[in-house]
Amino acid sequence: MEIKLLSEHYSNPKFCELAGYEAFGGYKVLKTALTMQPQQIIDEVKASGLRGRGGAGFPTGVKWGFLPKNGEPRYLLCNADEGEPGTCKDRVMMEKAPHQLIEGMIISGFAVGSKKGYIYVRGEYFHVIAILEQAILEAYKAGFLGKNILGTGVDFDLDVYSGAGAYICGEETALISSLEGKKGQPKLKPPFPAVQGYLRKPTIVNNVETLAAVVPILRDGAAAYKKYGTEKSAGTKFFSLSGNIVKPGNYEVPLAYPLKDMIYKLGGGLRPGRKLKAVIPGGSSAPVLTAAEAEVATLDYECMAGMGTMLGSGAIIVIDDSQCMVDMLAVLTHFYSHESCGQCTPCREGTGWLNKIVHSILEGRGRLQDIDLLVKVADNMKGRTICALSDAAALPVLSFVTKFRDEFEFYVREGRSKVKGASHAQMHH
Amino acid sequence: MPKCTINGKEIEVKDGSTVIEAMHDQGIHVAHYCWHPGLSVAGVCRLCMVDIEGMPRVQIACNTTVTEGMKINNTSQKVKDAVKWGLDFHLINHPLDCPICDQAGECGLQDQYMEFGKYDPEMAEKKVKKHKVMDLGPTVVLDSERCILCSRCVRFTKEVSQSNELGIFNRGDHSEISTFDGQKLDNNYSLNTVDICPVGALTSKDFRFRQRAWYLKEGNSICNGCSTGCNIKTYFNKEGFFRVKPVYNKEVNGHWMCDDGRDLYKFVNRDHRYLKASHRQESGWSQILPGAAAKEVSTHVKAGGEELALVLTGQYTTEEYEKIIGIFTKDLKTKNIFHWVNNKESFEAFDNLLIRGDKNPNTKGLLQVFEKNQISKTWADLETSLKAGAIKTVVVAGPENLKFYKDLDAKVQLFSQAKKVIWLQTAKHPALEKLPINSWIIPMKSFVEKEGSFVNYKGLSQKMNKVTTIVSEALTLAEAAELMAGHQISIKPDTHILTDADRPLDQVMSEHRKKNEFVFKRGTV
Ligand SMILES: Cc1cc2nc3c(=O)[nH]c(=O)nc-3n(C[C@H](O)[C@H](O)[C@H](O)COP(=O)(O)O)c2cc1C
Ligand code: SF4
Ligand code: SF4
Ligand code: SF4
Ligand code: FES
Repeated sequence: MEIKLLSEHYSNPKFCELAGYEAFGGYKVLKTALTMQPQQIIDEVKASGLRGRGGAGFPTGVKWGFLPKNGEPRYLLCNADEGEPGTCKDRVMMEKAPHQLIEGMIISGFAVGSKKGYIYVRGEYFHVIAILEQAILEAYKAGFLGKNILGTGVDFDLDVYSGAGAYICGEETALISSLEGKKGQPKLKPPFPAVQGYLRKPTIVNNVETLAAVVPILRDGAAAYKKYGTEKSAGTKFFSLSGNIVKPGNYEVPLAYPLKDMIYKLGGGLRPGRKLKAVIPGGSSAPVLTAAEAEVATLDYECMAGMGTMLGSGAIIVIDDSQCMVDMLAVLTHFYSHESCGQCTPCREGTGWLNKIVHSILEGRGRLQDIDLLVKVADNMKGRTICALSDAAALPVLSFVTKFRDEFEFYVREGRSKVKGASHAQMHH
Repeated sequence: MPKCTINGKEIEVKDGSTVIEAMHDQGIHVAHYCWHPGLSVAGVCRLCMVDIEGMPRVQIACNTTVTEGMKINNTSQKVKDAVKWGLDFHLINHPLDCPICDQAGECGLQDQYMEFGKYDPEMAEKKVKKHKVMDLGPTVVLDSERCILCSRCVRFTKEVSQSNELGIFNRGDHSEISTFDGQKLDNNYSLNTVDICPVGALTSKDFRFRQRAWYLKEGNSICNGCSTGCNIKTYFNKEGFFRVKPVYNKEVNGHWMCDDGRDLYKFVNRDHRYLKASHRQESGWSQILPGAAAKEVSTHVKAGGEELALVLTGQYTTEEYEKIIGIFTKDLKTKNIFHWVNNKESFEAFDNLLIRGDKNPNTKGLLQVFEKNQISKTWADLETSLKAGAIKTVVVAGPENLKFYKDLDAKVQLFSQAKKVIWLQTAKHPALEKLPINSWIIPMKSFVEKEGSFVNYKGLSQKMNKVTTIVSEALTLAEAAELMAGHQISIKPDTHILTDADRPLDQVMSEHRKKNEFVFKRGTV
């Protein structure tokens, strides 16, 4: 069952305007939050068990605690780059409820002691940028943003910054480089952003959904939020359901919701006559699950980790038996080789190599040893680079090749797909 | 001062040391391409992997700070596998054109391959094609396919030369080094990028295709291009000198040197040198052996006294100054000793990195010896005495570093007012042909052919050893002084001599070079 902590009023077109948002209690939480001690808010967020919704699932309150405890200027950046293939929840959240994000950011900014925030929006989302700018203007006029917010003496300024279409700019340090006006590529860590980030000042980067979730957490209290989900995966989360499914879309459900129900109940199941083959549970970087695994999986961080995959950004890509796994993998390897920023040698060279091997197989030039080579190359790209893109490129390869090896071997031996009539999904050709 | 254990050995390291620095200091080899002690840490080659106890994954040594009790290891199988694969990723798209690559023999890829590789390539795909010859500027050519994108060159232009000409353009495996729009790699330090490039991607226009690294011998010296006194390594063989690179000296030049200093090897080669002494008589110039010439002029010099003058440039060693000034003041009884300053106006200039306006390696040394011998005559004194005809014989210790002696013609004219000019000189210069009748030009040894010391701008005396001999008959300033004063000295014959008989060397190489004549000219791509 859907639990609409955040999306309750998304169907109301007025909710995206200030008046409509306020009519449903908008900015009330801000007013109480500003009367609290910043540390109280951080503690509440910690107690709620909220984990970052951008992909890595890092506990938000803990991350905020990494900031230095002094008066040094600091920044709060909202990651709205939403580049992970399959993910489209941040877009909807910003379209339907820009004020929710803004309110969440003002509260979070107050909690971490930041007076300036930016929303870094995926370049293709230009209409979202317009909506956000409009909403920010309204919030300034109403006194929710700017100097001395609502007479409390608290300052917070907010701005929107447009990306230019690079997936890598969703990685938090690449986002920071891009925001600084530099080439969008990740920075070497340490130093971590909480110590030295945007303009070398302490910086927090959070996903849209993470920052918006701060509003219901403070509204209802950490305990109420924690009622949903499990001890380690608390609250609700958006999932973007796509692929071979009858009702694709965004669904807000409590964490630990069964994947099976997501597909068959909320998603309306597969098209008639189709059988489930595989599910990518957390965006294209997450290792694929077989149909059997998908049947028993629940949508929470620990179950996913136990199955060797991850919840990631919450993009569920459903794959039915009409799809060729070699073909699908080719789309992914092409994506990562195109998006690697190229700094680290294993990622720069490895992503291209993987892509060429998979395409060689697709084009009938594959050798049996190429299948093992894919595994070896991917294995050696993992955990050895500046950012996680290299892992993100390697993991799908490893899972596709090990779980669907028969399809790869068939392709190499026969020079064609094992799946009859499989269409070439190579969007890039 | 944290203690840590590296490969089982406990050591103490400087506060804030990174693992790679600690290992470097201990002389433990760590594979690396992007790290350079003179540049910021980039952490991109991912080769400097080490195993740190308690960490599940291998870590890069260049961006890990040593903490108390850290246990570091780079000999485990885990590390070896990581390095082997790290190298593999560097090589899959590499053109492997070692046979025609200038870096061959001193290439980071070749070296690592011999240590960690020696396997057959598994890459069976088409390699990425990139620009093969990119003219980056007046001094450097880039082969993008050989580039391993370590970003050292980019960091150098950003952090050291601060000229910011270079960047990495494009993304992923299509990334390429290039200059920013409308810019050229054109700064006074550009050739350092060639030194720090671990592969054959950046090559010096001056050096490319001229010698294979393994045909060159090395010898350390001190650059005589200016008063900074950068420590250098010179590369030479029977054919002469071919290039100069900086040698690290924390006190003087750090890791770098300027481009002008790199050119100075040229005037030491035979083609540019006086091999025989010349004497101008009524009938014209005649040639004699240098030693004989020095003895011959002694008849004019020996008389000494107020009619004899000595002009010194700041281009000789302190030891030579001591000898010649000692002989002139004591034996030849003259205090007419003058300091020829070439570029007075810009003498104090400094570019805040290395280049100094005083284009002499040993002005300080000269002035120290002047002071010791109470030499206090000014240039104006010399000019008046010459004009008045009071000075009849001038001995000139001319400059080696001709590029910065724009006043050579003027000085030839000035000294010609004396009846006799004895000009001691290493490299040829047309201005000297205008010396008057009763002049001698006596060949001198260049800075790489003698030992001695230079005192740099801040008073640091740096000793240099003899690298080799190029013109065996040439004299040092000290030898010339003795002979001119009529002293009997025996000049030890050189054991290592470059003579005409030694060249041309093996037929193969000269033929090979003829084939490449079209690329042999400086400044062409
Ligand atoms: C290659 C790559 C792309 C990423 N893209 C996004 C993105 O589009 N949106 C996002 O919120 N986080 C993205 N992340 C995760 C961010 O680095 C960061 O962890 C996140 O924004 C932190 O916010 P959270 O703690 O609220 O999840 C990406 C990470 C990597 C390695
Ligand atoms: S892992 Fe890939 S994307 Fe990330 S910094 Fe390195 S090269 Fe760039
Ligand atoms: S850069 Fe090194 S490996 Fe590459 S061609 Fe030159 S010598 Fe060979
Ligand atoms: S040109 Fe040389 S120094 Fe520059 S990035 Fe390439 S390999 Fe490194
Ligand atoms: S030397 Fe450490 S990553 Fe290159």
